[in-house]
Amino acid sequence: MSPKLSVRGLSKSYKTGGEVLRSLDFEVMDGEFLSILGPSGCGKTTLLRILIGLLPPDEGTVEKDGVDITNARPDKRGMGIVFQNYALFENMTVRKNIGYALRFNGIPKAEADKRTESLIAAVGLSEHADKFPRSLSGGQQQRVAIARTLALNPDIVLFDEPMSALDVATRLSMRTELKRLQAEFGTTMIYVTHDQEEAFALSDRIMIMDGGRISQLDTPENIAASPANEYVKTFVLDNIRAKVSSLLRFTGGGED
Amino acid sequence: MKRGRTSLPVTVINVSLVLFFAFCVVCPIISMLSRITPSGFLEVVRSEQFLPAVKNSLVTALTATVVSVLLSLLAALAIYRTRLRAGGFFAALFVLPMLIPSISHAFGLVALFGKNGIITNLLGLEGGIYGFAGIVTGSVLYSFPVAFLMFSAILRYEDGMTYRAAEVLGIPAWGRFWGITLPYLKKTLISAFFAVFTMIVTDYGVPLMVGGRMTTLSVLMYNRAVGMIDYDSGSVIGAFLLLPAVAAFLVDVLTPDRGQSGFVSEPVMPKRAPARDSAACVFCAVLGICVLLPVLVFIVMLFETKYPVDPTPTLYHIKRTIERGADGFLMNSLLYSVLAAALGTALSFVCAYMTSRVRGAFSRWVHLFSILSMAIPGIVLGLSYVIFFHGSPVYGTVFIVAMVNSMHFFSSPYLMMYNTLAKVNPNLEAVGMTLGVGRLRVVRDVILPKVRYTLCEMFVYFFVNSMMTISAVSFLAPPAPKPVALMINQFEAQRLMESAAFVSLLILIINVTLKAALGAIRRRGERKEAL
Repeated sequence: MSPKLSVRGLSKSYKTGGEVLRSLDFEVMDGEFLSILGPSGCGKTTLLRILIGLLPPDEGTVEKDGVDITNARPDKRGMGIVFQNYALFENMTVRKNIGYALRFNGIPKAEADKRTESLIAAVGLSEHADKFPRSLSGGQQQRVAIARTLALNPDIVLFDEPMSALDVATRLSMRTELKRLQAEFGTTMIYVTHDQEEAFALSDRIMIMDGGRISQLDTPENIAASPANEYVKTFVLDNIRAKVSSLLRFTGGGED
Repeated sequence: MKRGRTSLPVTVINVSLVLFFAFCVVCPIISMLSRITPSGFLEVVRSEQFLPAVKNSLVTALTATVVSVLLSLLAALAIYRTRLRAGGFFAALFVLPMLIPSISHAFGLVALFGKNGIITNLLGLEGGIYGFAGIVTGSVLYSFPVAFLMFSAILRYEDGMTYRAAEVLGIPAWGRFWGITLPYLKKTLISAFFAVFTMIVTDYGVPLMVGGRMTTLSVLMYNRAVGMIDYDSGSVIGAFLLLPAVAAFLVDVLTPDRGQSGFVSEPVMPKRAPARDSAACVFCAVLGICVLLPVLVFIVMLFETKYPVDPTPTLYHIKRTIERGADGFLMNSLLYSVLAAALGTALSFVCAYMTSRVRGAFSRWVHLFSILSMAIPGIVLGLSYVIFFHGSPVYGTVFIVAMVNSMHFFSSPYLMMYNTLAKVNPNLEAVGMTLGVGRLRVVRDVILPKVRYTLCEMFVYFFVNSMMTISAVSFLAPPAPKPVALMINQFEAQRLMESAAFVSLLILIINVTLKAALGAIRRRGERKEAL
């Protein structure tokens, strides 16, 4: 099976922050849910911005379906992105937020309206279609951001820590929602997070980053079974074990 | 192979803005400074009037600055750190003097305490307020609101949690004031001191009107450059007046800001203290009367047939002032103000957008030039424009007056927009790019609606200041059509006191109306958003 996305020798430095990405090589398969996991400053967001075309890499290439898109415009890559703070258009209603981009992409009005309504229904916001973002909850705002991204039928959707501002209950429901939407739209998803538990719960594969390098890229099961190095073991596994153990102790099911 | 994305349009826009500021601000200043020759410099410095004028400027400006900063600090503390009722009313009242020209305050003082002033006659005083007392009082009156606004802005957004924590730790009220409030206000105190000092030392309106025989540097410059058309001497004095403004600018830019709290968990809620609250009320009431007195005296003078001889109500003075062409001058002012506001608002939005959201090559230069107007007194900018643009097609036109006003008042609206844009979600344009929506469309459809109140505020700021400024325009009009604010001095010199009062009131009413409209629009919008 050929990869959906291939990244080769990707590097990036900032004048002030030094080398942020160091010669990254990886592939993402069609329909896969890949999480990029790492602490703050490890280069996750920079990588995402290069993939979508908001930042140019210093070196390396990005290929999608075998086509080099390294220098393609962000809107010509067939990708979408959901930002951490959603970046919704606050002066527009939910409906307008979702359908806004369609008229600039040559989609006839009737079709644009139909697609907008179907997306509003798909993310469960039919009751809120005429509301402004400020009157929605964090979870609802995130659904708007996702629907707005899906409106242009991207092959790949990138998520930049989209759940960091949500409470625990909303996070849990959004995880299920994301997986459902992925299955419904058949989209490849690349999900940046610093939350180990989230990455393990959602992903087909996890790419663990440290200091601009890939520490390990594998399935959650393989990472749990054989961490590639001490960093993966401490940052990822020990943290998850600590969380699980405290949870078990709280619910009375753990061993001391 | 290394690659980088160079955005040519961004660089072109930034370079164009830098060149624009270089042409409209830096070149005029350089052309003024280039007129200074060693012999011309020595001639001015050795002249009889120069050293006394320096001394007078320093003494009056320092005294007025200390009084003004202290009064404004006390007023802001009285409103925001006590349980004073009607705090909102007093806060609005205290900024009223910002809406009339400095020369009107001085004229108000003349009407109150001059040789034939209302209070002079009432108390049977002799001599009048001319000289040191007049300059200091007038300067305090018109500079006080600036410092008051600075203190208000910072005190309103102080985190109350710090005080709660200090109280729990058993730190007494005076300890909290010295240990928390004053350090928090340090940067604002320094900025306010320099801003007020610069404002006073470079103003010629007050000392010209109530200075009597006491000549300050700004009046000396005005007399030389405007009265005697001696631009060389004016340039030397202008260079001296640039010094405090540049120093204030550097202090403001270089002083680290330790006061601003990034996060306010709860506002400061002072406890009830009847004695303190009553004292605050009395203080604000007295200050409010002082602020209102000059305005009240304008009304009395305008509507009495001949104060103090004939108190019969009349509209004759209004009719006479209009017959003397006040309506034409008012139209000039309105035209200048609308043009300056439109030009200034558009330009400061572009600059703020480029520096806060686009950046790229030369954006630091755009930022620096955008705040540079803080370092250039209006009187200096006016003379620079005369020297630089004399003989050019724009000289003597409406356009050059609008331009000098928009450049003179540029930094504050620019910073307003810069700070507003910096708070707008930084990813909006990035989202647009990924959705195939161009930057200009995102700006039009998303950013502009988001910052619309700040845009209105900027427009009003340029408009109000252009309506009342007399500093830069006094050099350019004539030959350009005269604005109405310049008529105050002229009417007073012709002993047409009632006409001067009418013009001052006219400017005040227009500015208050515009400010009130802005407040109403904002409140209506906020109410709508809250629904």
